[in-house]
Amino acid sequence: MSGEADWVPVALSASIEPGTSAGAVVEGLELVVWRDDAGKAHVWEDRCPHRGMRMSFGFVRGDHIACLYHGWSYDAAGQCRHIPAHPDLDVPKTIRITTYDAGEAGGMIWARLAGAAETGHPPPDFGNTLPVRSLYADCSLAHALAVLKQTYLPGGKGKTVVGQLQAVAPHVWTLEGDALRLSIAIQVIGPQNVGLHILVNEGSKETIADVAQWAVALRLTLEAPVVLAEVM
Amino acid sequence: MAALTLYAHALDENCYRVRLMLSFLGLAYDTVAIDMVPGEEEKGLAMRALNPLGSLPVLKDGDQVFSGAQAILVHLARRNDPAGTWLPLEPAAFAAVMQWTFFSATALSSAIEARRLALFSQERDFYALRREARHALRIMDDHMVLRHMKGFEWFETDGPTIADLSLLPSFALSRDYGIDHDEFPALRRWLRRFRLLPGFHTMPGIPDYH
Ligand code: FES
Repeated sequence: MSGEADWVPVALSASIEPGTSAGAVVEGLELVVWRDDAGKAHVWEDRCPHRGMRMSFGFVRGDHIACLYHGWSYDAAGQCRHIPAHPDLDVPKTIRITTYDAGEAGGMIWARLAGAAETGHPPPDFGNTLPVRSLYADCSLAHALAVLKQTYLPGGKGKTVVGQLQAVAPHVWTLEGDALRLSIAIQVIGPQNVGLHILVNEGSKETIADVAQWAVALRLTLEAPVVLAEVM
Repeated sequence: MAALTLYAHALDENCYRVRLMLSFLGLAYDTVAIDMVPGEEEKGLAMRALNPLGSLPVLKDGDQVFSGAQAILVHLARRNDPAGTWLPLEPAAFAAVMQWTFFSATALSSAIEARRLALFSQERDFYALRREARHALRIMDDHMVLRHMKGFEWFETDGPTIADLSLLPSFALSRDYGIDHDEFPALRRWLRRFRLLPGFHTMPGIPDYH
């Protein structure tokens, strides 16, 4: 696999506002995705070393994120800096949270998770895009791709066309119709859960609202019980 | 003694809906704490005399007694908010706000019930309710994705209404019944803005950020 394969998508950039945090799961690994007040995105293991509270429940102050439970506060390197119950304590260096490389490109936040080799490759960029939405569905990646391959897209003027699905980078596909070109970055949450981060490429004629409506219908299709073809 | 008396329990989310409305409207009121868990005081004779249904919240406004969170919200808004900010006067906006207010009592009732079972009951048979609750939250998230694209931050009209107020607690408290906020980016955004409204306060289960 190429170096880009190290990067997995975890959220649309627009969904993580400065000074906020959210949880994201990649193949069972719980992550906190947060953005400091200066706008830099961070992706860490979603676990406070104190008692294991999820850091995504916590809150961001400046370039620190604090745990909701007892207020332990961590700097951008994951190092614990402040323990409210012991305000004068020089916090031991060993109290830190596992951090991952995070990057932003193409309107997405990406993370390079444990085990991935440092290759120096930046996360995949697929041009100028507008974020539509993140769509979460209870199905496998294979099923999602099979459905996307035969999905009708809004084709302009009330027409629909079957989109052309193409893998353009690890975890990223484009789906193209007459008037529309979508980029879809897929986050595998678990064996039966995926997050589809959907973006519209510049120059597409459909409005993002139409694509958002289409996405709701797509989720229904993705989650519809699979009917086995009748064999004669 | 204030003209308004609220019979409530601190952990009940429907009581929280009413307390939020009272706070947003800046109304003074007395609270009578009812021992709902484990005492079931709301089902006792004294409370049944006020509300035969034996449910919380109950609001006494002068001589009148109201029960049911949504009815109380409507009453408080109409009576104390003549401009119709929280409950619009214009018919179409009124109906749209009421549609979501009813949603909080119908589709979200599974969320309220799932939370009640998770917090207060030994039964662990709430998975079906949780599935329904997730479905209702998805409908809300889908709606807010489109609203945001049209440049709005609230469920209906261009400001917060009782639609937002009645829907919000079930999302804000969803971790109590095992639904994370991960999959609802548009609702996260909405919750953050709601928290900034003057008069907003939390309840147990909704974090205070200090
Ligand atoms: S669990 Fe995080 S501070 Fe205690």
